[in-house]
Amino acid sequence: MEATPPPLKNAGSKEDSDGGLGWLEALLGEWRSLTRLGAFILITLATAARRHRDNSEVMRPQVLGEIHRCGVRLLPIISFLGVILGVVFVGQTVSLMEQFGAGNFTGTFIVTVFVREMVPMIAGLLVLARVGTASVVELGTARALGEVEALEALGIDPIHYLVVPRVIGFAVAVVSLSAYLILISLGSGYLFAYARGLKASPIEFFTQIAGAMSALDFPLWILKTLLFGALTGWVICYQGLARAMTLEEVGPATTRTVAVCVVGCLMIDALFITVYLLL
Amino acid sequence: MDGISLQAVDWSVDTGELWVVAGAQGAGKTALLETLAGLIPAAAGEVRVFGRRVDASGDDAPGLQETRRRLGLVFDGGGRLFSALSVAENILLPWCYHQNRSYAEALSELEPLIRHLQLESILSRKPTSLSRSWSRRVALARSLVLEPDLLLLDNPLAGLDAVHLRWWRGFLAEALAGHPVLGGEPLTIVATADAVRPYIGLDPRFALVASGHWRILTDSEAVLAATGEEGFGDLTEPRP
Repeated sequence: MEATPPPLKNAGSKEDSDGGLGWLEALLGEWRSLTRLGAFILITLATAARRHRDNSEVMRPQVLGEIHRCGVRLLPIISFLGVILGVVFVGQTVSLMEQFGAGNFTGTFIVTVFVREMVPMIAGLLVLARVGTASVVELGTARALGEVEALEALGIDPIHYLVVPRVIGFAVAVVSLSAYLILISLGSGYLFAYARGLKASPIEFFTQIAGAMSALDFPLWILKTLLFGALTGWVICYQGLARAMTLEEVGPATTRTVAVCVVGCLMIDALFITVYLLL
Repeated sequence: MDGISLQAVDWSVDTGELWVVAGAQGAGKTALLETLAGLIPAAAGEVRVFGRRVDASGDDAPGLQETRRRLGLVFDGGGRLFSALSVAENILLPWCYHQNRSYAEALSELEPLIRHLQLESILSRKPTSLSRSWSRRVALARSLVLEPDLLLLDNPLAGLDAVHLRWWRGFLAEALAGHPVLGGEPLTIVATADAVRPYIGLDPRFALVASGHWRILTDSEAVLAATGEEGFGDLTEPRP
């Protein structure tokens, strides 16, 4: 009996050419995922608009519960983070700029780098890490165990009952926590800088920062943080609910959610930087 | 015919009837109930509940929602309760959602039903702390709060101890006769089963799902003859 040796792979064989086109397939796959996420967002917006007054006795506690879970429960850690950021970033920046004789630019620097860029991203990432990942697991498990079909069988729209409150909760939480983080950070940063010899009074300090902001800063900042939060909510619900899932797929869906949210928030950030540059 | 678990189903159910759809595990009984509830589309043909199409090709979302409110589906096993909610919230959610009333109002309104199903002592518990038999009874309560006209029960008597089995048989008899707590009118019930003996005495009509085919049997004797005393003999091919 003669054994046949396994065929050897040749350089430039079909497998290699497939590998060469792999990136294209991956790109197309990402594009398809993006379009499905876009459709999911549109369906959620349509449901929220069409049914914003429906079933208020159930939906109002749902929305408030999500705001509490994503926002109020994170206040202690956000307070702690605010103090740390105030000392590490704001306080040191103010002190150093005073030392270098660039105190007049402190407000502009803090508004541009800290208020506009750092805080929304940090608040968004914190909400994603503390609540978002748990939400994907919760929704993914519910999907895998057939609880979503049970909702549908009872005539309850899963988009209305599960998705809309989460998107609102995440959006409101990121906006509110960002504003709170700014106040805590600036306060603790000022105290740190004052302890290191800053001459300006609190009123002068906060007036300088407020003066560095333009009228458009407020609506754009709110819009940006709102989009960070809403996108996080959408991605979480999309990854957890939008397709049939087994329990084994819940873990990968969670890590995918984190990656998509980070990339998505960075893309929104880049979009807003462009807007700021154009204005 | 990949992915099709059951074909050539020609069937109509009249008001107040109890139908037992018998078949081995994996024969397509659950898929049949989920098709009736409009959760999965039929590959071909028409599925009408209360005279209205519930299959996806019907493309009648508001009508489908209305139909779903008139039917109660109790899933197999633990009934797919919402694990994030308490037992009370599980039971009351559909009523609160559709009636737009608070949980407190729902609790006082639905208290007779909850008491009738003997669930008052476990209302504050989470579904994960319940045995499968009690989970199934909670799922039954959840499906009854909207006072359905049609009750779809997926293998409700499977794996029950003698006490729960006796309770369920009593409930089925009450529901078919029309009980004041259940709205007073006789319910129409479709139950799947992998053992038909517990239903004998309830005067059901039987259908058999075997090897992807559908057969309506005349009476319990015919079913027992077809399935054998202990199971389904060689009529069925259990699938994983």
